[in-house]
Order: sequence, then structure tokens, then C-alpha cells
Amino acid sequence: MRMSRLASVVAALSASALLLAGCSGSSGGGGETSASPSDQILRIAMTEPGADAIPVWNQVKTTYEAAHPGWTVQYNFQNDDIYSTVGLPSLLSGGNAPDIFFEWSGNRLQTRHADGYAASIGDQLKAKGVTDLYIDGAFGGTSVDGKTVMLPLGKDVSNVIWYNKDIFDKQGLTPPTTWAELDAINSKLKAAGITPYAMGNKDLWPAGNWNGHVLSRIVGEQAYADALNMTSPLDSPEWVAAMDKMKEIHDGGWINDSVNSVSDNEGYTLFFTGKAAMTPIGSWLVDVRKDQAPTFNMDWFNLPAIDGGKGNQQSVLGVSSGLVVNAKSAKIDQAVDFFATLASSDIQAAFVKAGSSSLTKAGAATGLNPLSQRLLNLIETAPEIVSPPDTGYNLKVADALNTATSAVLGGAMSSQDALTQAQQKIDALK
Amino acid sequence: MKPNRGWTPYLFVLPAFTVFAISILLPLLGTFGLSFTRWDGSGALKFKGVANYIRAFHDSVYIASYWHVLIYVVATMVLEVVAGLLLAGAVSARPRTTFYRVAFFIPVMLPLVVIAVLWSFVLNPDFGLLNAGLDAIGLDSWKRVWLGDPNTALLAISVISGWIFAGFYMAIFYAGFARIPKDIIESARLDGAGEWMIFRRMKVPLVRGITEVAVLLCVTGGIQVFDLVFVLTNGGPYNTTEVPTTYLVKTVFRDQEVGYGSALAVILTVVIALIGLLYSRLRRKSSDVEF
Repeated sequence: MRMSRLASVVAALSASALLLAGCSGSSGGGGETSASPSDQILRIAMTEPGADAIPVWNQVKTTYEAAHPGWTVQYNFQNDDIYSTVGLPSLLSGGNAPDIFFEWSGNRLQTRHADGYAASIGDQLKAKGVTDLYIDGAFGGTSVDGKTVMLPLGKDVSNVIWYNKDIFDKQGLTPPTTWAELDAINSKLKAAGITPYAMGNKDLWPAGNWNGHVLSRIVGEQAYADALNMTSPLDSPEWVAAMDKMKEIHDGGWINDSVNSVSDNEGYTLFFTGKAAMTPIGSWLVDVRKDQAPTFNMDWFNLPAIDGGKGNQQSVLGVSSGLVVNAKSAKIDQAVDFFATLASSDIQAAFVKAGSSSLTKAGAATGLNPLSQRLLNLIETAPEIVSPPDTGYNLKVADALNTATSAVLGGAMSSQDALTQAQQKIDALK
Repeated sequence: MKPNRGWTPYLFVLPAFTVFAISILLPLLGTFGLSFTRWDGSGALKFKGVANYIRAFHDSVYIASYWHVLIYVVATMVLEVVAGLLLAGAVSARPRTTFYRVAFFIPVMLPLVVIAVLWSFVLNPDFGLLNAGLDAIGLDSWKRVWLGDPNTALLAISVISGWIFAGFYMAIFYAGFARIPKDIIESARLDGAGEWMIFRRMKVPLVRGITEVAVLLCVTGGIQVFDLVFVLTNGGPYNTTEVPTTYLVKTVFRDQEVGYGSALAVILTVVIALIGLLYSRLRRKSSDVEF
């Protein structure tokens, strides 16, 4: 009787295991794709390109498929936040991993390369003449260990100071060239009853980006990188003095009280509804304005020079992005062919007409929206490009610094306390 | 001859066990296994032993998240359970109760994320209804950055939770009060007892068993709070509303530290299990009044 009961239990568990094995499907471990002859689908994962650019991406698909009979291009567009957090890792480690995926340069690209997901494509791009289609400097930030692993799609300026031209004109203000001039502008605006800055820093990165640029200008780019790479402390007297720039902004009442409780979109709304004269945010505000406030009169200026700063006072905070070929894919040749189609003159001109930026010679010849063109010129001619904390460096370290920035900007902590707390979090990671 | 039914019960249990295994057992075992590794979700797994657990006990934000959730649980005990009990008492003392029961229960039926988004508009310091209302009645000194001020953010989340779930506990207690024989209440009224005395001296003691269950639900549910905190503050400002669930979601999905996040999840599971065991030890057995 006992043996019969035991046998029944073992049989039930075995049946369950068989059922589970049948339900699990392909293991897909590590995102390997199978290169069977019947699998002629080129899978491409990326962030949502925007309604205007989607028809152009479909044009790329149609052109490629016409030139490669039997092959199908399959796009997987995801929301930016989802893609950059759980989306891409889930796709890479699942079955039918993408053959090509969108990625940002810096720490993220290095991580993909270290995990074996970034194929070296430099030689193939050269052989197909793709490299020659791009402007000088386009491939900056696309290499890891000296090998090109990314086809550049764009260079985003992550932070400039956008200003309401109508308010500036009415107050008789012009864009400042130094931080001291900017302080004077802030005081004048405040005296006129206008909040100088609006920002939605609930997710920490907007002020994190802005202050990252300020900090790098003051302590120097190398010291900034060393601290974020955990090779030097960021609670030194030099860093505390640099963080005091954010304290000045809080103490002067120069930023909306709600800065740490509203999202970036709500921050844009405050700016577009005239609740503040300026907003420090990235180049994508051009696209946001197109959707939310098409007639809003705005312009931008780069972070002004900070007197006594050790960094390059003409630096630009920016990040490259592009497409990476999955090194574990068996369709690397087909992926590079896709890149050749993507980089062709007609396609790049179409992207620019749709409002997207282009780093190709054809795209440059077509001409962008004037605001976007000037931003592209800014980053292309920048003597120094500084990576934002959360794109170029370890995310936990970036979070520690961004939390410190938000605490100082919100008046919750002194610069010293905020940076000491950040350093304690970073020390726990070592 | 008696038929052999040895296999039959197990075959009947098999479908339910399969669902249990897929949805609970395997993920539990998988998370436990991952908690001993370092993994970014796509690269190679590296075995780290108990390093993740040691790190968790030195992680000041994680430790503080338990303090925040304790404050939240205590606040929601009052705002949900006590408020639900009082609402049930008030509603059960009325002759026609359907409208009130439905009205108080409606927030329970709405998706938490929808409620959180709605309340984030109400509490918006620049455009929100609350600050605009305070302005309109001349109380602009009471205006706050409700979700951006460390002194008010956790309280605001607790109040919203109370607004949602007081109706849930009201429904539970109302059902308990409805089981009390009416003649007991009638005889108390004939003896001159007022509604408050009937509520305090009769109804509340008679639903003690239900109260104990409600407290357990509130505590275990409170420790697992996620949706409200994630949408309203995402642990901010400056980690002052960080709770264990939001922190482990950030660790896994934003920082891509799946191994460390798994360890945090295992610790949270153990804490909740210990609370359940403690509750069952502390609960007095069989002292409920039978009626």
C-alpha cells in the first residue's frame, strides 16, 4: 500500500515535470538564435521612433525586402522607459532574440559587449562603403576595445538650457555666456515675479543630467569620470563646492517648488504654459514642443562657462545612440546589409524630412529643423562631450549622485551631507 | 473485487498542482537560486554565494524601506481597518444601507494604478485640486508639495490607501455585524443602550475574529504595497517613501541587478512569512463568542 502511494506521488510529479517541460518551449538561454534556413526573419528591437519616422522605417523595410527576396524585416518598437530597463534584457535573453537592437553609447554599450551581444562590424561596414556615407566624427562613441560595434543613428544633446524667448524679450534679457551672468538673469526674473527654471525631476535624471554637466565643468571631466567610475570619492571639498551651485538655485527660489515631485512631462508643461522662463533639458524638447505647443517661442543656450572651473567650459553633455548587431545572431551579414540600406542617401534624406536627425552626409545636406540643426552642430563641434551619469556610468552610482542632486535642489540636505550619503551608497557597491 | 483507485486522487490534483508549480513554486525556487548569483538579466550568471544577502543587510536604503513600510502599515491600520470598522458601524445603524455600502466600496473596484494617477493630479502642487481648493478658501499657508515633501509624502500615500481600502474593510465588518442576531441588539436598545454603546460594547467584541483577520490582511498587504508608491512617488523624494517592493523593482529592472534583487525578494518573503507565523502564535484560540 505504502509503495503504491509512493509510486503514485512519483508518477504525479514526473507527469508535472513532463508537462512543464512541454510548456517551456525553446530554452533561448542567453538569447541565442537558430540559423536554420527557414528562419529568414531579421528581427530589430528599438525604442519608439515617433509617428513621423515610422513610415520611413517601413520604407527601409520595404527596400531591404525587395533587395533580399525571401527575407522579412520585423520591427519591435517599445516605449523608451520599458526598453531601457526591462525590455531589451528580456528580449536578448528570450527566444527569438533580436538580430539588431538599439542601444546608447557608454556604459550600456560596454555592458552589451561584455555580455557578448555586440558584434564587431567595423570591417564589414567599411567593405560595403557604409562608413564613407557618414560625416566625420559620426562614429565617435560607437567603439569598444577599439572595435566598431554600433552603427550611429544620432547624437543627442542631453542638456542645454531652453528659454522662453517672449519672456526674455519682455525682460530685456539675452542668453548668458557665464554662470555669473546666468545668476544675474535668475535674480532679475525672480524680482519680476517669474520663476527662472521649471523642471520635473521625479525620476531624478533631468536634474541629474543638468548637474552632471555643471559638476564636470567645475571639477573637470577626468575627476567627474573617476568619481563615477568609483576610483575617487565624490564627497571631497571640491565636489561639495561644485554641488553648491544647485544649493544656490534652491536658496534663491529659482526653481519650481515641485521640482522633485513632478515628472519630466509635467516639467515641460510648466515651461510651455509660461510658468517659468527656462528649463534645462535635452534636445528632444523640440519634438515635445511639436506635439504639445507647436507655436511656443523658444530657443536654447549651452551651459555657460563657470569661472574657475577645471573642465572644458565649451563641453557639451551628450550621448550617441545607434544600432548594434547581436553577436549571437547567425544573420550578421544580413544585418550589415540592412545597415547599408538604412544609410543610403534616399532613406537618410527621408528621415531628415520626417524630423529625425541624421549623421550621414546625405542627411546633413537635406537640413533639419533650425533648432535641431544648431544642436547637432553643437555636439559635432564640441571640443569635449561629457556623458550623463545614467548613460555613461554604473546605474547605481548614477542613482546615488542623482539622489544627492535632488536632495540639494529640493533643499532637503546640504551639499556635504548629500554627497557623503551618496559616497556611502557607492562604497557599499565596491 | 474492489477497484484500485490509488492513482485517481493524484490525477485529479495534477492540474491544480501544475498551475501552482508554474505560477508559484518554480518562480519561488528560481528566485531563490538567482539570489546567490550576479546576473544582469542577459549575460552570464556568476555564483556569488551569500554576498547578496550580506550586501542587503548593509544597504541603508533597503533597511530604511522596512521602516517606511512599518509607518505605512501603522497608518493604514488606522485609516483602513479602524475607519472601515467605524464606517461599518455607522452604516449598519441605518435602515437603508445599499447606497452607502456601494459608495464606500467603489474605490476598491477601481484599478490601483488609475487611482494613483488620479490622485497625483489632485495632489499636484502646481495644478492640483487640493492646493487650488486651499487657495480658494484662503488657506494658502496650508499648501504643500504633498508628494515632494519628505514630511508629507508617506502620509499622503497612506491617506490615499485609506480612501481606497476603508470601503473594503467596511464590507468585511458589515458582513460580520449582519451575522449578529437582531434580538440581542434589540434587547440592548430596549435596555436603553445608545448606538455608540451598542457598537462599542456589543458589535466590536462580537466580530473580534474578523478584526484579527482584517489586521493580518492589512499588515501583509501593507508590506507588499507597490502600485501606489510606484506611481505617486517611486520611492522619492530622496528615498523617503522607498518601500521594499519599489526598491527591489528598481534594483532588478532599472539597475539590472537580478541576483541582488532576488535576494531582496527572498528576504521580503521570509519577513512576511515570519509575520504570518507570529500572528498565528499570538492569536488567542477559540475565544470567539458563538452566536
